[in-house]
This record gives sequence, structure tokens and C-alpha cells, in this order.
Amino acid sequence: MDIKELMQKLSARKGVSNVSLIRNNVVKFDLGKDSSKEFFLELKNDYGFEHCSLITAIDNQPEFELVYHFTVVNKSVTVGQSDMSVMAEIHIYLDRDTPTIDSISDLWGGANWHEREAFDMMGIYFVGHPDLRRVLLPEGFAGHPLRKDYVYEIHEEEW
Amino acid sequence: MAEMWISMGPQHPMTHGLWTLKVKVDGETITDADPELGYLHRSVEKMGERRKYFMNTTLTDRLCYASSTTWTHCYVQTVEELMNVEVPERAKYIRTIMLELQRLASHLMWAGAYMPDLGHITGALYFWRDRELFLNLLEVPSGSRLLYNYIRIGGIKRDLPDGFEEKTERVLKLFEQRLDEYSDLFENSKIFRMRTEDVGKFTAAQAQNLGITGPNLRGCGTKFDLRKSDTYEIYDEIDWDIQTREAGPGYSDCFSRYMVRIDEMKESVKIIRECFKKMPKGPTLASTIPVRAQGEAFRRTEDSRGEALMYVVGDGSDRPYRWKIKSPMFTTISASPHYLKGYKVADIPAIMGSIDICIGETDK
Repeated sequence: MDIKELMQKLSARKGVSNVSLIRNNVVKFDLGKDSSKEFFLELKNDYGFEHCSLITAIDNQPEFELVYHFTVVNKSVTVGQSDMSVMAEIHIYLDRDTPTIDSISDLWGGANWHEREAFDMMGIYFVGHPDLRRVLLPEGFAGHPLRKDYVYEIHEEEW
Repeated sequence: MAEMWISMGPQHPMTHGLWTLKVKVDGETITDADPELGYLHRSVEKMGERRKYFMNTTLTDRLCYASSTTWTHCYVQTVEELMNVEVPERAKYIRTIMLELQRLASHLMWAGAYMPDLGHITGALYFWRDRELFLNLLEVPSGSRLLYNYIRIGGIKRDLPDGFEEKTERVLKLFEQRLDEYSDLFENSKIFRMRTEDVGKFTAAQAQNLGITGPNLRGCGTKFDLRKSDTYEIYDEIDWDIQTREAGPGYSDCFSRYMVRIDEMKESVKIIRECFKKMPKGPTLASTIPVRAQGEAFRRTEDSRGEALMYVVGDGSDRPYRWKIKSPMFTTISASPHYLKGYKVADIPAIMGSIDICIGETDK
């Protein structure tokens, strides 16, 4: 499948908006939170994005933003005749009061620790994650330090 | 037999850095594993939000002590993309040379660290002797031995000094001879092969799903190298090939992962030679470099250990609003239960050593 065809298919799909292209090989779009799991299943099985590169959580104050990067390794989607590997950059916006989303670590094993890190640093809850613990910070650490409203004094009192 | 958990680390000769591997054993056989990180966490992402864009190159240097140039380069590329900075042609060539010298030093560091894991102390001394040659080369233009801070936003710190090409050529010639010696010492050694062959196997499909990239993925026979498939600097203008190895159809073991790195070193030598041949004259730093940035950008590069990805969001000020670092080893370590299960406790150093762990970049 060519990347142009992928873009057309994505634009027609429900829940997907603002489809654009970066540097010829990255498809960037927004996705609604509610149907995200169905969409990710499609992304993996129908389009062949085998590799979950990164999950980033951003505190946009007030809402949270999740950015997913997926990579095609085995060329099921291509850029014309070139060797370039295609990526998908997906933005999902979450309310500050309910920062929850379906976990995708059952689809991509590599997403497991990225989700743990997003939970650790930003306090995003991934529903259905097998082992949602802190990964870099010690157990019992108070708060999520990459949130913009994190106060350093909390940390000092605790220790 | 009763099952029990054994804690290897944070102080253990196998760990190469501070981390803990908890393994569940049934007699001598591993039935489960649980890696634990965070001992080296320095909150680089949070620190980066309080520093100006150009200050962060000192932090990125310290992400990985074995391969600092590749990390700084990944950060600088992302910020250049964010700020729309055009890098001069000569700077691109010099960057490529530095990246490949760094890759050689990093792979030699790994090979030297891997040998004592297998009980081969002499191997460590041989490989680290050669690594020193490349560290000396990297010291010539940058001025320091490990943390270079040589690649800057918009180009490089300073041009290569006179005689650098001849110096490099002398080292490369010597190194090529030594690599042939090492193939006799290690590849043809029965003991080395008994320790590494058919140990720590995973398939290409497994590796892609679990987020394993870089030489570990190419050891499964997958032809995927970001230097070609998401090309940067001048890798597309240079004639070189992606190196792959397989232990069997579509899977890798410790030996194929060792071999793919040896092949990659030979390829790096080729790239450096060609860069020197094609390098044009000209400036090495862009004439105007902005201080503020707005928007978002990400770049991925082929680090010595796999796919390095950085994602930077700017809010119009001179400091990044959010800076995310993806370390290839983070996901590779997370997958360790999958390739440890079923092997013996004595195989753990051989398996974990073969994936080339660097805790500095993993813990951030």
C-alpha cells in the first residue's frame, strides 16, 4: 500500500481527523479517545504497523495529550519506490479529571513499559494494563513530576 | 523442585550499570523474570524543560557514556527540525564521520564488556585497547575523551584539525588487521560458540512486536536500519549496505547478534573512508541559529543500540515545553522475560550481555 492510499483510508475513517503528512513518510492525525482500541487493532492487523516506537504524554494545561508513534518495519506501507519506513503519529486528547485510556500493551509488547512510564511521570491510567507500576521512580513517590503543576516541596517533605 | 526468586543486581558483574534482574528459577531453569530500573534516574527530561535549547547538549552527552555523540546528534537533529535550521554540507560530512567513529567505539566497548561475561578476560583487554584508538581520534577535534559536546545546533563546534584524515586512516588500517585476528580468536573458538550459539533466541516477529531494534533486530535477519530507511545527514549519498545475520530462518541467538555488530564495524570503516573522500570545503556552522522555537518535531536516528527517538514541543520560549527521549534499550530490557525463559541461570550473562545494555540512556 502506498502512503497516499493510507492517508485516504484514514481520512474516511470515523474518529480520525486532521490527517497530514510530515517529511514524506510520517502520517500525523488526531484520534478520538473512545474508539481508540478498535482503531489500534486495525492499525496493527490491517495496515501492518508492527512496532510501537514511543508513547509520549504531554501536559497541555488543562488537558493531557498522548502522542503515539508507530513504525512499519516490513514495508506493508511504502513511500513510492523508496526504502523509507512509514510512521504514524497519533494524537489523543484526555480530560484532566479523567486521564484514562485503554492499554495497548496486549497488542504491542513494546508499549508495556512506555505506558508504565507515562503513568509514572504524568499519571495517565491505562485501563487493562497487566502491571501498571512505577518504572523509573521509587515506590511510594508522591505525585507525577512531569506534570506542570507538580510542586517540588511535596518531594522535600516526603523525604 | 521448589521455585524461587533470585535477585541479580544492582551490584552484580552481569548488570553493566545499576539495575536489577529478578529471575524466578525452578532448579537451574529460568521460568520468569522481572527487570527493575530507576537506580540511575536523573530526570533529564524535567531538567531539560528548565534549560535553554542549546544548553541541553551537555545533558544529552551524559545519556550514554559509551555513545554520547549519537545521543547529542539525535537531540540536535530534532531541534534543527523544530527551528528549521539548514546545516552546511561540510558539517554533515563531519557529523557522519564522528557518528561512525562513535559507533565503532561503542561496539568495541560492548564487545569488550561481553567477553568477561563469558569468562574471557583477554577479550576485554583486546577490544578495549582498540576502543582507546578511537577515543583518541574523537578527542582530536572535540577535546575530550568521552563526553564531547561537539555537535551543536546548526553544525559542529569547530572544523577538523590538519592531519586528521591521515591519523584516522592509520587507525582504520590497524583496526582492520586486528578484526581479522579477532575472528580467529572468537568466531572460530569452540568455547565461545558453545556459550553463545542457540542461547537467548527470539524471532524477528517477536522482536518487532516487543520493540527490539537496532543490531538485535538485524541479528534476526530483518533488514531495517534507520540510516537508510529514515535517512539523515549524508547516509543516502554514501555507498554502504545494511548488515544482517540470522541464527536460523528469522530468528537470532547470541552469536548472530555478536556477528552483526562485527559486520557493522567493518561497514562503519567503509563509511568513514568514503566520507573523507567526498567531503567538500566550506563553513561548518549555520550563519543564523534561532533561540526560540514554536511547534513540535521528532526525529529518530540509528543509535549504536537501536532506534533513538526524540520528541520536542516548543511553546515559543527559549526552553523546550516538553522533551521526550526514547531509548532503544528501555524496551529491549522490558522484553527480557521473553528471551530468558527456558534457559539456565548460567546463560543469563551471555544473553543479557549480547543485547548491549546501557543504563544511562535507559534510566534517563
